[in-house]
Amino acid sequence: MSGMPIQRFSLFIGLAIGLALGLVYTWYIAPVELINTYPALMRSDFRADWVRMAALSYVADGDLERAVRRMEGLERQDVAGAMEALIDQYAAAGRSAETMRRLTTLAQALDVHTPAMLVYLDTPSELATPSQTPRPTPTEAATPTPVLTPTPTTRPTRTPHPPTPTPTPVPPFQIAEKEQLCEPGQTPHIEVVVRDENGNELPGVEVWLMWQDGADRAVTGLKPDRGEGYVDFDVELDVEYALGTSELGVGLVSGLRIEHCPETEGDGSLMGSWRITLERRSAATSMPEPTLIATSELTTTVTPESGGE
Amino acid sequence: MRRWAILGVAGLIAGLTIGIVIGWWVWPVEYTNTPPSVLRRDYRDTYIVMVATAYEVEGDLDRARERLAALDAEDPATPVIELGERLIETGGDSDDITRLARLAWALDVITPPLAPYLEGQP
Repeated sequence: MSGMPIQRFSLFIGLAIGLALGLVYTWYIAPVELINTYPALMRSDFRADWVRMAALSYVADGDLERAVRRMEGLERQDVAGAMEALIDQYAAAGRSAETMRRLTTLAQALDVHTPAMLVYLDTPSELATPSQTPRPTPTEAATPTPVLTPTPTTRPTRTPHPPTPTPTPVPPFQIAEKEQLCEPGQTPHIEVVVRDENGNELPGVEVWLMWQDGADRAVTGLKPDRGEGYVDFDVELDVEYALGTSELGVGLVSGLRIEHCPETEGDGSLMGSWRITLERRSAATSMPEPTLIATSELTTTVTPESGGE
Repeated sequence: MRRWAILGVAGLIAGLTIGIVIGWWVWPVEYTNTPPSVLRRDYRDTYIVMVATAYEVEGDLDRARERLAALDAEDPATPVIELGERLIETGGDSDDITRLARLAWALDVITPPLAPYLEGQP
């Protein structure tokens, strides 16, 4: 009878020691092998990079279904955080409107929203329908819009709405200054600064850049480090641009073209960008002569850094 | 005397068995914060294709190399070559193969099967 407690005790002690040894072995010495994992288990920086690469792949191939499928299984906050960061970064870097539209389309499909997207949300675009096939030449039979010629250009090819053939509208802004920027190493671009009649920069103003085969739109204030009324567009050489605000077709400047800087015309190495300052018309000046201002009527100044060789 | 020792050993074996069952099947170690190198093969392939596509969009070779190093720190180009050749053999997407070939070219490693996809390269 006296041996029973000892026997039970030894059984429990053996069991406890065995259990402990078994867990130590399986959890620390020989844990389950780490293979065949999936993206959601990756470290947070790898997860964010996964989302970023999936979004960039959509930019490249336009396959929305594939991009969304690649993000399946990831936490919503991972997807939203990475998409917002990418869109904000690309907007601040002044990436092309086509790239931004694709990212915005993908973000919408993923139910992600960021202020930088707003510029591109309601912009008409053929990219809204994902496709891997080449984009067809746009034809608009219902309206007497001139048929676009398929000239090779890397710019977005949206058809601007034709100006309304009613009495010429009065643009809410007028040109205060037009300056050629001649800084070595710059990429050709057009900067626009919009300000009110008192000289204060205005955020949230829609600025249109139009050319023969399309148009691009941006809203001031998305690059706060450059000023609340600032916006810029990357442009191409040998393309003539027009600039307008608010409604497309209400032009303020026409015949804008990247030109050689005066001091470098000899070697042709420096192409000047443009900085256009628009000022809101005051009530007293908003009525008269609302005509387009030809570039030849404007004063061209060159910054002191210009010159080069 | 002998009986308690036998029971002790029996308990030890039973406990060990239970511990192994728990540790490997019931509550195995759960991994988080894993690197891309342990992704399942189809996810790993997707990762490599996305690295090549992101390189096409951004042109950032250092970043592509860094991403590939998460798969193979010794030789980042190897996964690109392997996947590119496998896609050729299995009739994979030609756009993906072209992107992989361009990335391999940028990494200074190109193989005969991938070379035809480099049309347009300098």
